[in-house]
Amino acid sequence: MTVSRESYDIIVVGGGHAGIEAALSASRLGKATLLVSMELAALGRASCNPAIGGLAKGHLVREIDALGGEMARATDVTGIQFKMLNRSKGRAVWSPRAQIDKKAYSAYMFNACLNQQNLDLFEGEAVSVTVKNNKTVITGIVTRDGQHFSCRALVLTNGTFLNGLIHIGDKQFSAGRINESASVGITESLTVLGFETGRLKTGTPPRIKKDSVDFSKTNIQLGDVNPEPFSFSTKDFNPPNEACYITNTNLRTHEIINGSLAFSPLFSGKIKGVGPRYCPSIEDKVVRFSEKTSHQLFLEPEWSNASQLYVNGFSSSLPEEVQLKSLRTVPGLEAVEFIRPGYAIEYDFFPPSQLKATLETKRVSGLFFAGQINGTSGYEEAAAQGLIAGINAALLIDGSEPFILGRDEAYIGVLIDDLITKDTDEPYRMFTSRAEHRLLLRYDNAHFRLSEKGFHLGLVPALTHEKTLEEKELARRAVKELESVFVKPEKIRALISPQAPITENQSLANLLRRPGVTIEHINSLLPAWMKGLPSSLLTLIATDTKYRGYIEREHLQIARFSKHQNVKIPADVDYLAMAAISFEARQKLHRMRPETIGQASRISGVSPADVSLLMILLKQGVSRETP
Amino acid sequence: MLSLDQETIVAISTPPGTGGLAVVRISGPHALESIKHLFSAPDKILPRVATFGKLKHPSLSEGDFDDCIITFFKGPNSVTGEDLVEISIHGGAFLQQKLLEVLLRAPKLRAAGAGEFTFRSFLSGRIDLSRAEAVAAIIRAKDAAAHKNAQNQLQGNLRKLVEKMSEKLITSLTVLEAELDFSDQEIDFSPPEALVTPLLELSQTTQSLLETYFYGRRLEEGFRVPLVGAPNSGKSSLFNLLLGQERAIVTSLAGTTRDTIEKTILVAGHSVVLVDTAGLREGRDEAEISGVDRSFNEIELADLVVLVQAPDTAPPKDLPLINKPQITVYNKIDLDKDPPPNKDIYLSCATGEGTGELREAIYSHIVNMVSEGVEGVVLNNERHRDVFLRLKDQLDVCVAAIQGELGPEYIASDLRVALDILGEITGRTTPDDILGRIFSGFCIGK
Repeated sequence: MTVSRESYDIIVVGGGHAGIEAALSASRLGKATLLVSMELAALGRASCNPAIGGLAKGHLVREIDALGGEMARATDVTGIQFKMLNRSKGRAVWSPRAQIDKKAYSAYMFNACLNQQNLDLFEGEAVSVTVKNNKTVITGIVTRDGQHFSCRALVLTNGTFLNGLIHIGDKQFSAGRINESASVGITESLTVLGFETGRLKTGTPPRIKKDSVDFSKTNIQLGDVNPEPFSFSTKDFNPPNEACYITNTNLRTHEIINGSLAFSPLFSGKIKGVGPRYCPSIEDKVVRFSEKTSHQLFLEPEWSNASQLYVNGFSSSLPEEVQLKSLRTVPGLEAVEFIRPGYAIEYDFFPPSQLKATLETKRVSGLFFAGQINGTSGYEEAAAQGLIAGINAALLIDGSEPFILGRDEAYIGVLIDDLITKDTDEPYRMFTSRAEHRLLLRYDNAHFRLSEKGFHLGLVPALTHEKTLEEKELARRAVKELESVFVKPEKIRALISPQAPITENQSLANLLRRPGVTIEHINSLLPAWMKGLPSSLLTLIATDTKYRGYIEREHLQIARFSKHQNVKIPADVDYLAMAAISFEARQKLHRMRPETIGQASRISGVSPADVSLLMILLKQGVSRETP
Repeated sequence: MLSLDQETIVAISTPPGTGGLAVVRISGPHALESIKHLFSAPDKILPRVATFGKLKHPSLSEGDFDDCIITFFKGPNSVTGEDLVEISIHGGAFLQQKLLEVLLRAPKLRAAGAGEFTFRSFLSGRIDLSRAEAVAAIIRAKDAAAHKNAQNQLQGNLRKLVEKMSEKLITSLTVLEAELDFSDQEIDFSPPEALVTPLLELSQTTQSLLETYFYGRRLEEGFRVPLVGAPNSGKSSLFNLLLGQERAIVTSLAGTTRDTIEKTILVAGHSVVLVDTAGLREGRDEAEISGVDRSFNEIELADLVVLVQAPDTAPPKDLPLINKPQITVYNKIDLDKDPPPNKDIYLSCATGEGTGELREAIYSHIVNMVSEGVEGVVLNNERHRDVFLRLKDQLDVCVAAIQGELGPEYIASDLRVALDILGEITGRTTPDDILGRIFSGFCIGK
């Protein structure tokens, strides 16, 4: 916790999920790193729901792990209930989720940072950034008490703290999170440098006293009996399985909410920022889906044996007494008592089209943004960006090639590419449907996809990498062998009862491709060496085999569009002068300044014809420079 | 629309319509492979050598097409910088179209977009860079022209229909995606089987649309009506007679390499290409044999055959079975007081008697072949037809995936491919579009 110097390679401002991964990766890559947080005891604090992972988010966590990040390990150690979501669907969209012990999680992360070599921690508030070379190069930060720290790269992960404004009913006050001060100054110091800024809104539900709940009127929900860990390095996984409870709102609840909309800052227009459509407040749900007579609520423990519960599904910025009155109409919550009410928070963000794919700003060299400051929501999205920003800050200092993941390589690649090519009009959350190559980006093959990259960066230990290579080779052999081992019809009939009669010898692969047939059905037919493989690897092999046609189609699509994807566009192109390109596309390109042809093609309003013209005009430009 | 892919593209490179010769160009990695099975001498093809041979149909029963000359240019030494094959064939519009259709059956070929060959030439650096701006202008103009053309031709009906069809796919996809991304929410999801019905309806629409292509091509090229019969049965007189009455609106489309003569007349507002053919009999010398072959060929291409008979000529002995609509005309009734029964039309070119009835008969056959289209859409463009052919196949794939109990993410992947195919006409549907639907249709968020 000591600050050993005034000059660092890399400074990270903010100790949330983005800041932690940024600071850890930067210091693990050998850079003298300083993490600045307004409250070191709050490092890794989960501000909202006590859960990590979930649909598409679970994929992100696995990818962070495969690249040597910390989030998955922390979740495995501090999780109190683990569940694989979408288990009834195909493997590509299975996604792990865990309830975590928030206190333990935060403590784990604090220790990880404290014990990390090359990483210093500093408690204080950064209020401005310093620059040189006509505002184009970052040089450091100034803290509230006037201290200057200099650096070669700065990662800002300010979360919801920048000019944070909390709303509860008609009350509003400045704060970063409840009972934590907002951060003032950074936004203004960046606006002076020419950055655009905007406002977003998010919210959180009330926290209630556990002993005020009548659980006999709720349904209990537990995790998986044989849970899978998030991290590939977790061994002997035996986490607790603590209960969550389900109850429902009813028409009485909705009536009270409807009658109090006049006091809602959301409906009165006091809240200017845009909130996420996928995470609406209870008043939003009641109004927009008025035909629904009931909404589900989940009562989730905030930590192990917690006396405090999180009311998932009841995010609200209504006045405290309305929240309490309406919640008391819900079965089991008739006598509920608050620890604190739900609230909405508005905060500054910086539209991420101002960033490169490395998360470095296009405007100021050495300045990186990660997490909610980029208009995202979610711990996992933040952590993924933090990791990438930390890695690229280190690579920038080394003068090495940047680290950029493709949309076909990782959800992280999709996340960042979406951020920098799309206009943010609500907090961005990851969904599996955002990934066009979803079938390739499975949670179970994240290490196959990424561990080699993590190893070459220097974040994944050689041993882990070698083990992955070994598994990859086993999987390759197995997939091949399943195609070439044929089984007689009578043997097949003994194991499965197919809809259509089987009269000819079948390859094991073709058997697996039949509807409803799993690797378990044909286990006895497998070559001996394959039977001995761990079940998670065997399932991965079966998935690769069963959906081979789809996987090949994906690879074909990637190959088809790869030719021009990574063609670089010079940073100083004058789009407005390109009269051949449609007006709307010119304006968009001018504002977003894509780094590659691939990025340009994904900007809305830029048509394939515009992209073709752009390529032509770029070639022409290049020819003029080198006659 | 131009795309940044590496697919193999094909297009007729000579101007539309009938000409002396026509050139079909294929460019891309699969150019050579895609024609080898259609060519009689695939092993003789060498780079930069014009090779003569016969074009075959992929199915043997259909026999040979035509003579052709194939020239192969190995990339990068070609105008597009890619492997390029040029096929020179005789210039009949039907022949060109048929060849294109056969080529597009190959899985790795697709119809080229406007300006796409030029675009590839540019990208490969084969076109002088100083001309780039001109190229850009051309591509832009072509896109605009193509757009305007589609608008005018179909009064936006195609777009409306495609949007309606996309809407059905999007609705299905929204259900699947909601189930995948929000299965932890309190939403009642309908089973994937429920998606089969809308998909089958779409498939039916697509099939009906494909069937309009027959009429659509005829809108472009005219209905083909050969006059066929034994020598001296009076075909040419009849030909002139029919033309004479329509002379004011006749356009000339004479084929320079054929013995047959064709002229276009207007019937019920439609172009009808009347073809005067060589008389059908066993040929005595090579020239005549080839003339008779052409007559048979005309019957094959015909939409309606006018079979001409006369009292002073024996009906041709080896007349092939004509499984096309036909009108049997008994000519020269002024020479025959007791004509045989059961002919459709009794006519005399000398007196003009019966020509009115023949014109009526042609009229009613043509009117019978007119299609209303599907919601006002008649396909007349090879690229659009190509889109709907692929859509049909892909819809089959979607239904099979549902019936094969594949997971919703795989069905969704198949649906996305189908949607992308339709998107070639109206523009792509992005994940954000789908998410927008989910958020407005389902109560999402715990």
